[in-house]
Amino acid sequence: MRDRYGASPLHLLAHLVALPLVAFALLQIAERGDAMRIVIWLALSAVVHDLLLLPFYGLLDRAAQRAAGRSVNYVRVPLLLSGLLLLVFFPAISGKGNGAFHGVSGLDYEGYLARWLLITAALFALSGVTYLLRGRRS
Amino acid sequence: MTLSGPFRPRFWRSPLRGPWLTAALGSVLLVLVAVVATTGFLSHVAYQPELPGNAIVDPGADLPMSFAWPAGFTYLYAITQGLHVNVGLVAIPFLLAKLWSVIPRLFAWPPVASPAQGLERLSIALLVSSAVFEFVTGVMNIQYWYAFRFNFVVAHYYGAIVFAASLVLHVALKTPVILRAYRERGVLKPLREDLARTGPEPADEHGGLVAPSPAAATLSRRGLFAVVGAGSLALLVANAGETIGGPLRRLSLLAPRRQVIGPGPNDFQVNKTAPAAGITADMTGPGYRLALRHDGREISLSREELLAMDQHTARLPIACVEGWTTTQEWTGVRLADLARTAGAAGAAPALVRSLQPRGVLGRASLNAGQLGHPDALLALKVNGADLSLDHGYPARIIVPGLPGVHNTKWVGAIEFA
Repeated sequence: MRDRYGASPLHLLAHLVALPLVAFALLQIAERGDAMRIVIWLALSAVVHDLLLLPFYGLLDRAAQRAAGRSVNYVRVPLLLSGLLLLVFFPAISGKGNGAFHGVSGLDYEGYLARWLLITAALFALSGVTYLLRGRRS
Repeated sequence: MTLSGPFRPRFWRSPLRGPWLTAALGSVLLVLVAVVATTGFLSHVAYQPELPGNAIVDPGADLPMSFAWPAGFTYLYAITQGLHVNVGLVAIPFLLAKLWSVIPRLFAWPPVASPAQGLERLSIALLVSSAVFEFVTGVMNIQYWYAFRFNFVVAHYYGAIVFAASLVLHVALKTPVILRAYRERGVLKPLREDLARTGPEPADEHGGLVAPSPAAATLSRRGLFAVVGAGSLALLVANAGETIGGPLRRLSLLAPRRQVIGPGPNDFQVNKTAPAAGITADMTGPGYRLALRHDGREISLSREELLAMDQHTARLPIACVEGWTTTQEWTGVRLADLARTAGAAGAAPALVRSLQPRGVLGRASLNAGQLGHPDALLALKVNGADLSLDHGYPARIIVPGLPGVHNTKWVGAIEFA
């Protein structure tokens, strides 16, 4: 078994528990009109993360390393935090979600972009102050 | 053949990658995701899909997973759903770091060495796809960006089943690898190394995570955990105020529901306005009557008649599925008193119908515990003032521990079983 399959029988059994559950879930949406869009988004999720987002921030990090050398963390940490906030709150910051938000609640995403820019500036300022203090000490 | 690009093991240069790092990031992520998944499935239960009019996911295509959602804990749904959304945000940096730690495996060559490995790669593809899908759809939904143009609830629910199944499988298969990494390197020992002492983990013969020709470290492992943790903290601080409420709401600078509307008794967050629900002035004017139905009989009550009944006041939250909460002081008639008036004392469930002509959530059923709870009200006033039209004038449901949208606004009829 191990020779031909490549792992213990438990490995196969565990897959045969999980994969039917996955098939069950996918089957329940198969008849829906929006099934194709769900499956496409599901498949693209991994592709976009693995082949676009991750290489993108990897390249960004490499550029930061080239630019800042040994002090890279003073650039990369605020950059990462600011980028993370932009990534997660993009619908509010960009206003992409504002149409539907205003439609149901009568409210608007006001000042999100401005506050994100101010947070970004504050993060880099904090990093700069840390750099100065540490640089002076050493 | 010669491998090129990312398929070449020497392409991957980070000295931090290795079985210990992946095990440690994965362990933290597992705890966070367990909270998110549990509270997510609890939210599904909280909607009581087995009661008339409540199901969003087709009940014939659902897992057998339900129990009577209790009304005994006022903040139950505020807490479970607040955890779902906020711990979900906290988990994002750990998910990204965990995926970064194993990215060389995506380019392992040959892609499939055995049937076992092929099957495992399929399950990993399902795991990564469903994980990213769940976080992306959740994050978009709390900010009303419906670019995906599919039913969020259905997709997020079945996506969660794919995610939970492939995650349990993954944890089961990787437990020996995780334990070995902790045994060989210590659970926390690598966190004690400062930058100068940070080097690659010992070569792993079949893991493929440890870089064969690593660059010099620019960050220690504890530094990596600190940065990822700082990312989690930033997301939490940016959002959690909308869940906790009070003065903290304004401090969460990027929370989708941070708006403070004004100082008036009705100036708190509206999930759906009267115009959005298609409510017009003539539906709620002097001609308004609440219908109570039971056993083929119907009683109708004007708002004045409702105000003439025993009034009860309770401080209760509206806890939205999107993770925001607003707690107010509601005054109105106990649902139990309305049931008695309708000759339906103890009857359950009850289907509450809104006057609103539009929307999937224009009706919701309440269970026996919810109907009988002394704080479960048909509210007529909030903070001492008449309800505003946007908050459900002439009358709305407010029940402890209930998902926000099931507190039906503009109640037109209550049908007791």
